[in-house]
Parts: sequence; C-alpha cells; structure tokens
Amino acid sequence: MLQVVTQPQVPGKAANHNGPIAIRVEGLGKNFDKIQAVQDVSFEVEEGQIVSLLGPNGAGKTTTLSMLACLLRPDSGDAWIMDYSIKTEAAAVKQAIGVVPQEIALYSDLSAKENLQFWGKMYGLRGPKLTGRVEEILELVGLTERQKGPVAKFSGGMKRRLNIGVALLHRPQVLYMDEPTVGIDPQSRRNILDSVKKLNREGMTVLYTTHYMEEAQELSNRIIIMDQGKVIVQGTHQELVKIVGEQDRINLTVSQVVPKEIAERWHALEGVNRVSLNEDNSLTLLVSDSNLILPNLFEVATGLGARITSVDIQEPNLEAVFLHLTGRGLRDS
Amino acid sequence: MKILDIAFKDMLRSFRSGFAIIMMFGLPLLITGLFYLAFGGIINGDNDQLAPTKVQVVNLDQTQGVAAGNSLVTFLQSQELTKLIAVTVSPDEASARQAVDSQQAGVAVIIPANFSNTIMDSATGAATAVTLYQDPTLRLGPQIVRELIGHFLDHYNGSRIAGGVLAAQAGKYGVTLDNTASQVAGLEYSQWAQTQGAQPNQLLDLQAPASQSANDKPLTSLIGSVMAGMMLFFVFYTGADTAETIVKEEEEGTLARLFTTPTSRPLILAGKFVSVVITLLIQVVTLVVASALLFGINWGAPLPVGFMTVGTVVLAAGFGLLLISFVKTTRQSGPVIGGALAITGMLGGLMTTGFNNIPSFFATINLLTPQGWVLKGWTSTLGGGGVGDIIGPWLVSIVLGLALFGVATLIFRRRFA
Ligand SMILES: Nc1ncnc2c1ncn2[C@@H]1O[C@H](COP(=O)(O)OP(=O)(O)OP(=O)(O)O)[C@@H](O)[C@H]1O
Ligand SMILES: [Mg+2]
Repeated sequence: MLQVVTQPQVPGKAANHNGPIAIRVEGLGKNFDKIQAVQDVSFEVEEGQIVSLLGPNGAGKTTTLSMLACLLRPDSGDAWIMDYSIKTEAAAVKQAIGVVPQEIALYSDLSAKENLQFWGKMYGLRGPKLTGRVEEILELVGLTERQKGPVAKFSGGMKRRLNIGVALLHRPQVLYMDEPTVGIDPQSRRNILDSVKKLNREGMTVLYTTHYMEEAQELSNRIIIMDQGKVIVQGTHQELVKIVGEQDRINLTVSQVVPKEIAERWHALEGVNRVSLNEDNSLTLLVSDSNLILPNLFEVATGLGARITSVDIQEPNLEAVFLHLTGRGLRDS
Repeated sequence: MKILDIAFKDMLRSFRSGFAIIMMFGLPLLITGLFYLAFGGIINGDNDQLAPTKVQVVNLDQTQGVAAGNSLVTFLQSQELTKLIAVTVSPDEASARQAVDSQQAGVAVIIPANFSNTIMDSATGAATAVTLYQDPTLRLGPQIVRELIGHFLDHYNGSRIAGGVLAAQAGKYGVTLDNTASQVAGLEYSQWAQTQGAQPNQLLDLQAPASQSANDKPLTSLIGSVMAGMMLFFVFYTGADTAETIVKEEEEGTLARLFTTPTSRPLILAGKFVSVVITLLIQVVTLVVASALLFGINWGAPLPVGFMTVGTVVLAAGFGLLLISFVKTTRQSGPVIGGALAITGMLGGLMTTGFNNIPSFFATINLLTPQGWVLKGWTSTLGGGGVGDIIGPWLVSIVLGLALFGVATLIFRRRFA
C-alpha cells in the first residue's frame, strides 16, 4: 500500500521559468502533535499563472495555504510572496494576498454589503474608494440585487461567491483559493471557474487547491500533486500524464467469439502494447494512439465474425497519475 | 481606525440581535418593573398611585359605653389610614350593601349587634363574625380592609387575654368579677394599650415602613436596590456575552480570516475589548436613565454615579473577557457564563438587594465576588453617598477589572499567538 515515491524528474520543468516568481516555497513543514501535516514542501509560482494544489482529503493543502497566508507559523522552511518572507514580513505579505478560505468565513447576520464594507476596511480601504470597490465586487459576484439582506439567508452558491468577493476587495496581486467550488451546484461552479480565469487574464496570480482533477486540469498552468503532507509530483498537465506513459486505455466488450482468440489477434497488431482479459470477459488494451488503432480492431473483429458491443476510451489523466504514484485513487479517502 | 471598525461591527451585530437587546435592557427593566408594580402602588400613596378604597361601615353593635364596635369604627376612621381607605358610616346594612352593588364603595364592613360581647367573651373565645361584603372585581382594596380588621381583632384577642388574667388575679384575692366587669377591664386595657403606642396602625409599620418616614424614601430605595441588582446581573451577563464573540468568530472562521488581513492580532483583540466596553457603557447609562424616568429612582449625585458607571463597565468587561478566555467553544460558553454569573451574582448579593433580613455575614461574602463590590458602590450612591463613600468600592472595581483584563489579554494572546 505505502509506496516510497521519489519525485520524478519532469522534462521541461526548468524551461518553464520565464517570468518573475510570485510565490517561492522552500522546504515548508508543519506538525500538529504527531501528525506531520506538511513535510518539506517546495514549489514556485510565476506571476500571472494559475497553479493548483491537487490532493485528497488531509493531503496538507489547507495547512500549506495557511502558512503562506501567515495564519500558521511553519515549523521549518520559509516562503516568499512577491519577495516578502512569510516569517519576517507578514504585514507586507498580507497586503499582497487575498485569501478565499475553504470554509465560508462571513458575518451571517450582516448583509453582503456590510460584510464587504467591513472587510474592505480591514484591507485599509476607506471613503469613496471603499464604496466604489464594494459596488464593483457586488457586481462581479452577481449580488448587487441581494446586497441588503442578511447573508444567513443566502444559498450556498451565493455565500461561496461572496466569500470569494471579500478576498478581491483590495485587488491583491496573489489570490489563494482553497477548494472554492466545494458543495455547490454545477452552474455556480462554472461561474466561479470562469471568473478565476478572468481574474487571471487580468494579471492575478492564483494558487488554487482542489481535489477535483478536472478543475486542476482546466484552470492551471501547472499542477502540484500533494499526498500525506508531501509534494509527490509537479508540472504541467501534459508533463504529468506522461508519467503514466503515452498510452490510451481502451475497454471493449465483444460477442460471438472466444475472447481469448480475439485477444491474441489484437495483441499482434502494431501499436497495441498490452491486452488483458477481464473477469467479465471484457478486454482492456493499452495502446499508443486509440484513434489510429480503433479501425484495425474493428477489422480484426469482423474477420473473426465477432461483434464489438461497447468501446470505452480513457485518455491518461491525473487520476491515473495519482494512482500510478500512490497506488490509491484521488477520492479514496 | 480599524480598532473602532472592529468594535462597531461587533456592536452592529449585537444590537441587531433581539435576544441581546432583551438581555441588555428588557429583562432588568421588566423585573424591576414587576417589583415596582407589586409594591409601588400600595405604598406610594403620595403619588396617587392608588386611590383610597371606599369603605361603607355599618355599626350594629348595641353595647353601651366602651363598645368594641365603636372602637373599630374609630380605628378605621383614624387619620393614619386615610391614604388607604375612605370610610363612610352607613345607617343600615342594606344601604351599605347597596353601595357596594352599585360600585359606590369597594367594601362594606358590617359589625354585628353582639360584636362587643362575642369579642370579649373570654370563656367562649368564639370567632367574631365581622361581615365583609366586597366588590368581586377588586383585589387590593378589600385585601387591605381585611388585613386592617384582622389586625384589630388580633389586638382584641390580647385584650381578652388581659381580661381573663385580670379575672383570675381577682379570684385569688376572693373577688369575683362578673362578665361585664371583665369586659370593661379588657376594653380599658385595650384603650390603654393604644395610648401606650401599641396602636393598630403598627400594622402599617409591618406592611409599609415607607409611610412612616418622610418623603417616601424607602420605596424608591427598595426599587432602586432591586434595579441596581438587576442592572449589575445583566451588565455582567452582557460583558461575558459580548466577549463571547471572540469564540464565536473563531468558530465562524472570521477570526482566522481577520488574521489574514493586514491587521495585527493585538489590534483585533483590542477592537473586541473596545466593543465590550462601549456596549456595557451604553447599557449602564441606558438602564440608569430609563429606570430613573420609569420608576423615579434617584441614583445619587452625578459624580459618584459617573464613577460607579465607569467602575462597573471596567469590572464587568474584565470579568466577562476572563470568563470567555477559558472557554474553547460556544457550546461550552452557555453553561460557563450562565453558571459562573449566576453563582457569583447570587453570592455578590445581586438577587437579594432590598431584603432587610439578610444575615450580616452575607455582606462579607458579597465582597468575595466582583459583583459585590460594584453593588456596594451603587448602594452608596443610591443612599445619597458622595465620592468619598464610593471611592473604596470604586478603586477595587477599577483595579480588579484592569487585572482581569490583563489576565484575559495574556490568555488570549497565548491562544492566538
Ligand atoms: N489545527 C489542526 N490540528 C491538528 N491537526 C490538523 C489541524 N489542521 C490540519 N490537521 C491535520 O493535518 C493534515 C492535513 O490537513 P489539511 O487540512 O491541510 O488537509 P487538506 O489537504 O486541506 O484536506 P481537505 O481536502 O480535506 O481540506 C490532516 O491530517 C489534518 O487532520
Ligand atoms: Mg483543506
């Protein structure tokens, strides 16, 4: 079960370092009593990028963000946000960052507007500047119509949106978002993902945590996969999926033929690397390129008088990467 | 001023909560109001809180000379009772009852023909039936009349015993007193007793010490004491309840979020402390002014009252913050606040203000609690004390309050380091 994972050397990693660094993390570690929540975590985020921390429950994502937000003091290591040290220049770090906490952190007995006004003041905004920003944010998160009622009466999606809005008030250079789409409907989720991309297009650096690989894949320039407090691998999506090899996985069910017979014929084809026979008599093939090989598979089947009754193609994904590196699924825990 | 932004945000939240408003202002005024209604109306005759009950008296007692019937009529008509009852002597029973039926009078008192005989008959000791005929819609007036007559009759029981003793004494010396003679002796004892100061209006001493002394001080002082106790109980409650927002915000996640903004932790805590202090200040000032207007309480001279206001706020805030610094979750805070404040409040004497028959050692126990010290100060201002009278309790409140503040700050700073 427990695998010793050495961080694979990902090709092209160094070549990615073009722009200035917004977040530099070196050897960060944090223990809670006996739990090593974060161990020796290092990574960098360039300005203007979206980087995701992907990992299952308890991987240490929130603990890492908390240290980067100067909320928790690291037991080891240090990090620099826009070149300010989280250990010695916390005030400057806090002014540079916006934090969207994993749990909704709003005053539920105050209205959306009152919340924004208060949090704006905490970021040092006053007067007309504050009023203007509050209106802009209400517009941005689509709550202009609902600015007056108490937040307690909001739907989950509305609260999530306001929770994000609060972090944007002071136009932070770096935005931390801790699982901002958990527990909401698909439409609100779409909404949030789109606004993250929009913010990023406008130049904001985003550090995003999630345990949905689809989100990490869609949003991020780079992905850092964490598990049990450690970074197990990091790179672009393409770089990461290469770890499991450039193979597609095809699941097929066939009828009117002895499966073993067709398996042998398929294996003999060019571009088919492995054929395995499953207990339910379906077949799983590992192939270099499913698009090229599929016509040949059908041709062989027709020649044998067999019928292919179902085809399921899986391109390599982060789930597979995680499985490959840890022996567990992303959502096991 | 972020510190005030934080304080005002907290106050906006608590003043928006109906529950908090009731605990801050509603309950102390309501409880004192109930005391006021229960005691105020009867005693506060000067303010015409209650019109004297109209009483029709019919004296059918036929006995000549020193008759008990006449004594009762005279007693009811006495000057001391005019604030309570307005007596009209009626010629016959029917017209007296008629007066009650037509609500011209609240009570008819019918003294029967054999009243003197029965009342003084030491041999039988039979109960004398004075008939009270009353308007069923009235409570207080008939109750007063019943009490007065009851007292009068008790008094005659004393006379009857005196008569009996006299007869026995006379017997020792071979003198036989006939029934009439012993009655006369008894009645004369009764009248002698009245002139000696054992007047029936001693009843008023029991029921209403207020009317005995000048300008009704005791009533307002009773209500003032009750109000002081209630005010302090709920001010200490509010202190802890407002301080509880620290724990509440920790659970809501807003405290952690505050810590991620460019606002220092000591400043955030200070903002919370300021909100507690301002809230309590508003509460004390409102309660003092409102109770003065509603119940006519004279809290005392402005300077000592101002001193005690500040002392109360500092001590209640410090005590509340200290209590909350021991609490980890809002689930714990209910029992902790409730229990600690009920016990210290009770020991501090907040629930027993205005009671006369409290053992004196209790005053010493009071001072083992923070509440006891501020109560002592307020009791002084209520009694017309000057700055010199309250300076002791005031200094204790300030010093103790600041000390508790300090300890709470240390605990919180360690917790949120
Ligand atoms: N305050 C704390 N006290 C003790 N243990 C903690 C604390 N915070 C986190 N942990 C532990 O540290 C580990 C990492 O937790 P963390 O919250 O960082 O994970 P996560 O990746 O954010 O998980 P999730 O996806 O569930 O939010 C977990 O084992 C967790 O139980
Ligand atoms: Mg988390």
